[in-house]
Amino acid sequence: MLDLLAQTGLNAVYAASYISLVAVGLVLIFGVMGVINFAHGELFMAGAYAIVALYAELHLPFFVAVAIGLLFVGCLGLLMEKALFRPLKDNPLGGLVASIGFLMILQALAVMGFGVRMVHIPPVTQEVIVFTEKVRLPVARLYVIIAAIVLLSALWYFLKRTKFGWALRASAQDPEAAALQGISITMTARIAMFIGAGLAGIAGALTAPLVSVNPHMGHSVIVTAFIVIIVGGVGSLEGAIVASVAYALVHTFVTTFYDGVLADIVGLSLMLVVLIVKPTGLFGSADRA
Amino acid sequence: MPKFLIWIAALAALIALPHGLSFSQQEILVFLTINVLLVASYRLLTLTGEWSLGHVVIMGVGAYSSALLTKKLGVYVPISMLLGGVIAALIAVLLSFPLFRMKGFYFLIGSFAAGEIIRLLWKRFRDPFGGAKGIKGIDPMPDFSVGFYQFDFFEPTSYYYFAGIIVAVCLWILWRIEKSPVGLTFHAVHWQDKLAQASGVNVRAYRTLAFAIASGFAGISGALLAHYIGTINPNAFDIDLMVYVLTWAIVGGTATFYGPILGCVVLTVINEIVLRELGLEQMRPLIYGAIMILSILFLPNGLESIVQKFTKRRAAEGAPERRPAE
Amino acid sequence: MTDFLEVKDLTMQFGGLTAVDSLSFKVAHGSIHGLIGPNGAGKTTTFNMISGFYKPTEGQVLLRGEDISGLQMHEVARRGVVRTFQHSTLFAELTVLENALVGTHMPFRPNIFAAIIGWDSEDRSGAEARAKEALEFFGLDHVMQERAGDLSHGHQRALGMAVAYASHPDVILLDEPFTGMNPEETRQMMDLMERLKADGITILIVEHDMQAIMGLCDTITCMSFGKFLAEGGPQEIRNHPAVIEAYLGGARHVA
Repeated sequence: MLDLLAQTGLNAVYAASYISLVAVGLVLIFGVMGVINFAHGELFMAGAYAIVALYAELHLPFFVAVAIGLLFVGCLGLLMEKALFRPLKDNPLGGLVASIGFLMILQALAVMGFGVRMVHIPPVTQEVIVFTEKVRLPVARLYVIIAAIVLLSALWYFLKRTKFGWALRASAQDPEAAALQGISITMTARIAMFIGAGLAGIAGALTAPLVSVNPHMGHSVIVTAFIVIIVGGVGSLEGAIVASVAYALVHTFVTTFYDGVLADIVGLSLMLVVLIVKPTGLFGSADRA
Repeated sequence: MPKFLIWIAALAALIALPHGLSFSQQEILVFLTINVLLVASYRLLTLTGEWSLGHVVIMGVGAYSSALLTKKLGVYVPISMLLGGVIAALIAVLLSFPLFRMKGFYFLIGSFAAGEIIRLLWKRFRDPFGGAKGIKGIDPMPDFSVGFYQFDFFEPTSYYYFAGIIVAVCLWILWRIEKSPVGLTFHAVHWQDKLAQASGVNVRAYRTLAFAIASGFAGISGALLAHYIGTINPNAFDIDLMVYVLTWAIVGGTATFYGPILGCVVLTVINEIVLRELGLEQMRPLIYGAIMILSILFLPNGLESIVQKFTKRRAAEGAPERRPAE
Repeated sequence: MTDFLEVKDLTMQFGGLTAVDSLSFKVAHGSIHGLIGPNGAGKTTTFNMISGFYKPTEGQVLLRGEDISGLQMHEVARRGVVRTFQHSTLFAELTVLENALVGTHMPFRPNIFAAIIGWDSEDRSGAEARAKEALEFFGLDHVMQERAGDLSHGHQRALGMAVAYASHPDVILLDEPFTGMNPEETRQMMDLMERLKADGITILIVEHDMQAIMGLCDTITCMSFGKFLAEGGPQEIRNHPAVIEAYLGGARHVA
C-alpha cells in the first residue's frame, strides 16, 4: 500500500510538472495580452509533433529536437501575437475566436502532415530509476520534472530579478502606466507570447515519447490548464503552480484508486467549489475579465 | 415592395429548398435548422452580457431528457420534446445558483466546468444514461398526415419541415421576448446592472430568467436532434460543438437578432456544402479556421454589420423614417 | 410634515475602520434634505446604506417605520426609495427613451407571458407615456431617440434623474449631483430639484460642496469623521461653529 502511494505520488509529480508548464504559459499570455489563448493546447501538440518530425523521422538527437521544438513553438507564439492578438487587442472576444481559428488551423496542419492516427515515437531512454520493487520512475519522466523545475525557476528569476521581467509585470498590471514609463508594450507582448508558447511547446516536446501523439491531444491539455488557472486565480503565476500540483495530486490519486472519468468529475467539481467560495480563484485578486 | 411579399417569397424558398438538394445535403439542412434554434437561444443569454460555454451541454440535457422520457416512460414524442426543454430550463435554474456568483471570464469557465461535469456524469453512469456509448434506438417522431402532406420521418425533407415549423415558432417567441419590456430589461442588466437594480430590477432574477429561457430553447433543439438521429452520446455535446456555436454568434455578430443566425447559416454552408463540393475534405478545418480569423479581423462587428449597412442606406434613401422604438 | 425616512444609530465598519458611527437623523416628507460633510466624513457610505448598496453593520434605516436596512437595492427601490449615481451612470448603449423605459420597470412590471402573446399592450403604452412624461419633465423630449452615451454632460445628468423619476418614487437619493457642473448647469439642476419637490417627492442630497446646496435645502445634516455633527436650516448650519471648524480643516473630533 505504501508502495502504491509512493508510486502514485511520483506520477502526480510528473503530471504536475507538465501541467504547470502549460498553465504558467497560459497565465503569462493572459496577464500581458488579456486574451484567453484557446490554442494553447495546440501549441503543446505542435511541440509534440516537432519531436515526431525531428527526432522520430529525421533522427536528430532528442535534446536538439526539443530545443528546436521550443524555438519553433515560441515562434508560433510570435506569429499569433503579430497576426491575431495585436490587431485584436481591443476585442477580447475577438482574440478568443481568433485563437480558436488558429487552433483549427494547427490541428488541420497536423492531420495533413502526419495523419489522424497516433504516432509512435521510439523511446528516448529505457532507463528507470528503481526506488523499490514497486516504486519506479522512468528517466524520460524525470526529464519532464527537471525541465519544469529548471524552467519555472528561471522564469521566476527572470520576472522578479531582471529589467525585462519588471517591464513584463508592469505591463500586465497596468498597460497604460507601463507605456507612460517608457515600456514598449509590443516588446513585452512579444516576450510574453514567446515564453508562454515556448513553455507549452517544450512540455509537449518532452512528453511526446511518453504519451500518444495525435492531432487532438491538445484538447485535454487545455481543459486541465483552464481548471488549474481558474483554481489558482487568473493572472497569478504562483497560483497556477500551486494549483497544478494540487490538481495533479487529486487527479492522479482518484484515477489510480477509482477511475479517470471520476477523476475528471472531481477535478471540475473542485474548481466549481473554488469559484463558488472565492469567485476570483485562490490567489486571484482583481477581476480582469 | 410590401414586407409581407418578401416574407412569402422567403417562406416559399424555404419550402422549395430541400428539393434541389442531395440526400446528404438535406440531412445537413435538418442539422442547420436545429442549430439555428440553438444559436438564436444562445443570443438571448448573451443579451444579459453572459457568455456561457455550457450551452451545448444544456442542449444535451434536452436531448437526453426527451430520449429517456420516450424510452423509459413511453411519453409521446412531441410532448417529450417540450418536456426536454422544460427540464433543460430547470437544470439551468439549478446551475444558476453556483454560476451566477461569477461574472465575465469566470462565468465562461464556470459554465464550462458545470457542463463538463454533467457530460461526464452521462459518461460514468451507464444506467440510465448509457455511458460513453450513449442512448441508441431513440423513438423517432411518429409519422402523421395533415391531409395535403404526409410526414414520413425517415425522409430528411419531412423532418426538415417539422423541425422548421417548431424552430420558426420558437424563434418567434424569442423575438417577441427580445422586443418586449423584458428584453429591454435584459439589455439594462447587461449595460448597467447597478442602475437597473436602482430602478427596481431584480438583476439576479432577470439573469436567471434569461439563462432559463435560453436553456429551455436549447433543450428543445437538443430534443429535435435526438429524435432525428436516433442515437445520442456524451461526445455529441462536447466543447467542439460549443466552439462552433460561439463562433457562429461572434462571426455573425450579436447586436441584432438575426446576426447569430446569419453566422450559423453562412459558416455552415461554407463548411458543409461549399468546401465539400470543392473536394477539400482534409483542408476543411484549415480553411474554416482561416475564415474565422479573417472575418474577426476584417469584420469585427460581424456579418450583421454588412446587412445593417445595406438596410440603413436603403432607409436613408427613400421610405419615411422608421421609428426605432416600438 | 411627518418623519418618514429615519436613520437610526447607523454604523458601518470596514474591517477595523469605522466609516459611519451610530449616525441618526430624520428626513421630513416632501422636503429637500442635505447630507454634507468634508471629504471622508462617511456621507457616501451612509448613502449606500440607505439605498441598499451596503448592508449596515449596525443600526436601522426606517421608511414609514419599516426597517429597510440590509434589503437589496431593488427591494429598497420597490419601497419607493430610488437612487442616482455619481457621474453619469446610464445605459449608454440604449436610447434616451429606452433609458426612461427601464425607469418605468416598477410601475409597469413586465410579464414575459403577456409579452409573448401580446396582452401587455396597455402596460407598454402606459410605460411609454410615463417615460415620455418623465423626459418632458426634464426637458429631454427632443432627444428621445438619441443614444444616451451621445448626450451632453448636462443632459446625461438630467436623464439620470429622469430614469429615477419615471419610477414614481417617494424619495430620490442624489449622490453629489453638482460635481463638475458649471454655474449655469448648477442653476438648472437646482431648478429641476425644486420642481421635483413641487411634485411631492422627498429629496436627499449627499454633497461635499456646502455652498451649492445652501439655497436649496430645507434641512441640512452635517457629519464629520463618520459622526453626526449638527443639523438645522441653511442659516443655522452656515454659522454653526462646529461645522465651520470641520470644514476649515480643524481635524479634531467636535462632539
